Amino acid sequence: MADGHLFNSISLGGRGGTNPGQLKVHSGGVVWKKQGGGKAVEVDKSDLLGLTWMKVPRSNQLGVRTKDGLYYKFTGFRDQDVASLTTFFQSNFGTTPEEKQLSVSGKNWGEVDLNGNTLTFLVGGKQGFEISLADVSQTQLQGKNDVMLEFHVDDTTGANEKDSLMEISFHIPNSNTQFVGDENCP
Amino acid sequence: GDGRAAVRATTDLIAYRSVNELPPPREMMIQVDQKNEAILLPIYGSMVPFHVATVKNVQSQQDTNRNCYIRILFNVPATPSAPQDANSLKNQGAIYLKEVSFRSKDSRHISELVQLIKTLRRNVMNREFERAERAT
Repeated sequence: MADGHLFNSISLGGRGGTNPGQLKVHSGGVVWKKQGGGKAVEVDKSDLLGLTWMKVPRSNQLGVRTKDGLYYKFTGFRDQDVASLTTFFQSNFGTTPEEKQLSVSGKNWGEVDLNGNTLTFLVGGKQGFEISLADVSQTQLQGKNDVMLEFHVDDTTGANEKDSLMEISFHIPNSNTQFVGDENCP
Repeated sequence: GDGRAAVRATTDLIAYRSVNELPPPREMMIQVDQKNEAILLPIYGSMVPFHVATVKNVQSQQDTNRNCYIRILFNVPATPSAPQDANSLKNQGAIYLKEVSFRSKDSRHISELVQLIKTLRRNVMNREFERAERAT
């Protein structure tokens, strides 16, 4: 393979869980194909907004953010893949992936960061979890301090997920100054 | 009082010290890790850990379409079960995850989870309470 790298067991994560597939990184961009056909994801390097690496249990996760506001998360990279791909991204895309850390402390308090469609819950500056606001069907303010997000019922893509997230709510104490006066955003 | 001491102790509990301590990813379903006193929630293709001491309550219910739901409520400041504790003072300005709700097709799995989480939570809280009692 003169032009790029091929990875055979890379899963795409999303609202309905994960889908196994194959990822090709070439000088023009990134292509992922679902195992057995069907869904494919193609990101041209000119559409790339940013890349991230994050260590996850037994693996590494590549985050691909596009200028259209889409955000893909690919999991299944070994540590040595991270090193070789980082070099490849630097020389072919002119981008160095940003390193993120996953929070595993199990705490339920932190910060909320909004970036495009993505809501990130951060614990001690590390990522607890991310959700896509594009999947939120309704937001409700409950009382003065709670925001509830309801997710679309997803019966089509959630086949490999046994338990599906339906609702999530955040408590924003009065001592929080980040979202004062912005009741539409959690 | 005694309650305060117990609450203070539990806010310092952590589930895992490093990413590699998490159980290997399996099915995308809610799991209970007894050893690390954690529950793992499938959120957007990742298993997200929460220490059981952050859990306030857990409930299940079933709708008319045989869908089963599990609702996990977490401790947040200034609620009756978590009074103005060290937590809310220490974490001024923090945002809390208050509640998550999942739908499942497997009602047995959900009722097992409710039992497991309740038992684990009770054991951890009792242990921490006793530890706090001994310390005073």
